[in-house]
Amino acid sequence: MSLRSIRQSVLILGFLGVSLTLLFHWMVFFWVSTEATLGISQRIFYIHVAGMWTGMLAFIVVAVCSAMYLWLRDDRLDQIGRAAAEGGLVFFAVGLTAGPLWARLAWGTWWTWEPRLTLSLLAWFIYIGYLLVRGATENPEKGKTFAAVIGVIAAVNIPLIHVSVLWFRSLHPEPVVVRQDGPALPPDMLITMLTALLAWTILLFALVLLRYGAARLEARAEELALDQGTTT
Amino acid sequence: MKAKLLIAAAVFLPVMALGLPAGLLAQETPTATPLEMRHFWHVFVAYTFAWILLFGWVVSILKRFRRVEEKLN
Repeated sequence: MSLRSIRQSVLILGFLGVSLTLLFHWMVFFWVSTEATLGISQRIFYIHVAGMWTGMLAFIVVAVCSAMYLWLRDDRLDQIGRAAAEGGLVFFAVGLTAGPLWARLAWGTWWTWEPRLTLSLLAWFIYIGYLLVRGATENPEKGKTFAAVIGVIAAVNIPLIHVSVLWFRSLHPEPVVVRQDGPALPPDMLITMLTALLAWTILLFALVLLRYGAARLEARAEELALDQGTTT
Repeated sequence: MKAKLLIAAAVFLPVMALGLPAGLLAQETPTATPLEMRHFWHVFVAYTFAWILLFGWVVSILKRFRRVEEKLN
């Protein structure tokens, strides 16, 4: 993928992602009905779920890129993995902060060490480790390899987060969209939720591509600096 | 590009901040109780924080681009 095609993809996906995000914000604040029991605070649900979903999607991209990097040793895969990890951390942070803001009103506490919350926080710290481990080694190639190994192992946690509410006794509500007997949301809430998921998924890919473009340019600048160093 | 982004953020965030209470209160009873106001503030903080994080990430990426451009120049 050339830098020009990355730029075009970022512009198209960015425009689409931002437009859909504005649409889902309009739906959240002006269109969707207010939930009878939780009231206004239920609207936090839309960014909480969208943030966690896009975060997990980004972490799956990290796992795939990490596995392929360990196999092919292509730097571009490492750069995509790193960009996706940054994106995952940002979107996961949105979900992790929106959750307690809702929980304080619904449960009466900001945080509780129940399985899903604990596993989600653990995932966030693991991906911080994924980014930090690169700088912990003298040899950058070794750092990339360590990071890729973490990226693959950390993926085990992602399905666990999803099933934790079904496997363990949990305070966290059970899934309302991805269920065996179909979504358990009223149509307007489901449409808003799906719009939010689509909007932030597109936005995630746009921003990951933008970050990847920056990494490609940095790599090119380093190559040029090395070339100049060898010719002089 | 960074300047354009900052202008967009400067326009978008206050519009969101000002539009949010109007939209929420329009759907609620005219006289919001203290508990409802608390719910409103939690929604406001959740959405505002989400946007600050996303804009922060975009700005950090654009800073990287600027650094590379300076290096290349």
